[in-house]
Amino acid sequence: MSAVSSLVPARFLTIIAHLVIVITIFWSRDHNVKACLPLEFTQEQYDNEDRKLVVALAVTLGLFAIELVGFFSGVSMFNSSQGLLSLAVHCGASVSLSFFVFEEWECWTYWVIFAICRFVCTHVSASRKQRDRTSNQ
Amino acid sequence: MAVGSQLIRSSTPLQVLFYLNSWYFAAFYLAEVLMFIYKGNSLPYPSDNLVLDVVLLVLFLGLEMLRIFYGWKGNLCESSLASCAALLVLLPCAALAVYFLLLQTYVLRLEFILGAVLLCFYGRELLLGLLSIYTFSRFSFSP
Repeated sequence: MSAVSSLVPARFLTIIAHLVIVITIFWSRDHNVKACLPLEFTQEQYDNEDRKLVVALAVTLGLFAIELVGFFSGVSMFNSSQGLLSLAVHCGASVSLSFFVFEEWECWTYWVIFAICRFVCTHVSASRKQRDRTSNQ
Repeated sequence: MAVGSQLIRSSTPLQVLFYLNSWYFAAFYLAEVLMFIYKGNSLPYPSDNLVLDVVLLVLFLGLEMLRIFYGWKGNLCESSLASCAALLVLLPCAALAVYFLLLQTYVLRLEFILGAVLLCFYGRELLLGLLSIYTFSRFSFSP
C-alpha cells in the first residue's frame, strides 16, 4: 500500500527532526531564558525561568518516548489518518521550534507550541492504541 | 514465504532498523552537505582541513551504502557472510561518525546531535546483527 510505505519514513524523519530541535533547545536555552526576563534581572529570576523551561523540555522528551514506542511497535502503521495527523503536527512543531531558537522567542511561547502539538499528537495516538487494543480482544 | 515447517530466521527489528537507517542517513547526509557549505562560507577554514573533511564525507557515503546493502541482503537471505561483511564495514562507519561528531575542525551543535542519533542506530544494528549471525549460522547446518 503506497500510503503505508511513504508515510512511515516521513513520520520517522519528522519525529527525529522534532527531537533534534528539542535537544538543541535544551542545549542552547540561555538566549530564550534571557528573552523572557527584564533587561536587569537577578540570578534567582534567571534560575526560576530556566527551571520552568527545563521542566517543559523534560515533559516533551517523556512524551517523545511514548510516541517512539508507539511508532516502533508498528501499531500506528495502519491508521493512515492518524499518521498524517502525526506528520503534520510534528512538521508544524519543528518549524515553530526552529523559529523559537533563531528568533529567540520568549519562554511562554514554548508552552503554546507544546500544548498544540505534543499534547494533540500523544493523545490521538494513545486513544487509537486503546481503541485498537479493545477491538482486537 | 515459509513452506510447511520452515522457520523464517531473518530478524524483523534489524530489517526495520536498516530501512529507517537508510532514510535517516539520506537526511543526515543532506544536512551535512548543507552545513559544510555554511561552514565553508562563514568560518575560517585552513584549506587542508576542509579538503580532508569533504573527502571523508564522500567516503562515508560510499561505506554506508555498502554497509546497508550487505546488511539488508544478508538479513533477508539469511546469509551469515553478508551480515559479517556488514558488521565489518560498521567499524569504519562508526569511526567516521565519531570523527564528524567530535574530531572534525568545526563541530556544530546540530552535527553533534545528528551524529549521536546515527551512533544509536549503529549500536542497535551491531547488537541485532551479532544476534542474527548467531541465529543464521546455528541453524543452517541442521539435518
